[in-house]
Amino acid sequence: MKMGMKWPLFHQSRADKVVLTEIVPAPIVPFPSDNTRREEGAELVFNGRVRGTEQGQDILALEYEHYEGMAEQELQSLADETMAKFLIQDLFCRHRVGRITIGEASLHVAIWSQHRKEGLQAMTYFIRELKERVPIWKWAILVSGERVPSECVHRD
Amino acid sequence: MKITVKCFSQVKYALETDELSLELNPGQTTADVEERVRQRAGKKLDGVLLRTAVNRIYVKEPRDLEDGDEVAFIPPVQGG
Repeated sequence: MKMGMKWPLFHQSRADKVVLTEIVPAPIVPFPSDNTRREEGAELVFNGRVRGTEQGQDILALEYEHYEGMAEQELQSLADETMAKFLIQDLFCRHRVGRITIGEASLHVAIWSQHRKEGLQAMTYFIRELKERVPIWKWAILVSGERVPSECVHRD
Repeated sequence: MKITVKCFSQVKYALETDELSLELNPGQTTADVEERVRQRAGKKLDGVLLRTAVNRIYVKEPRDLEDGDEVAFIPPVQGG
């Protein structure tokens, strides 16, 4: 599915699966909940948000930097791999880059699956691997205004 | 031959630039370039694990470079 395409609603079961990944420089527009699906009993939504501290230090915001070209490629390839590994129907992901203030979403993921278990497993795997291989980094904007690379790394 | 090194996060902070253009001799590898980058950073990258990407694809082992290649030394990533 290409960026900017109109959001589909699925009124019937489909054999084809849909994967969408985007890296966006603006506030994330969430994927709409979908009441029209007939086969997917689980709709999982994850929002990752910016906390007010980084490694115990108060911050004003985070600035996400990405390796343009490679980050998009790695994110899409991870989404494809997740689709192949777990029994899920659709996976959508938006990751925001640039300056993000406290409380705003930096990551938005939605997964639809027939049953909850596969969806939850896929969500855990996707986010864990995203934090391991997609070239995106955080810079902390400190209360003093200084901008420093965050040393905060979470694997799980 | 000439290659470009893209710098991100801690590498960018240490080198105070987002891109380097380097002249290499034929046969020089990504490992040689990483050594030059680390030398240039002084001690600022000591203890920082860097993964290597060539033309935006991760490479696991040191490899020969070609004229025009784009190399990046990827510090631990922090998306999410």
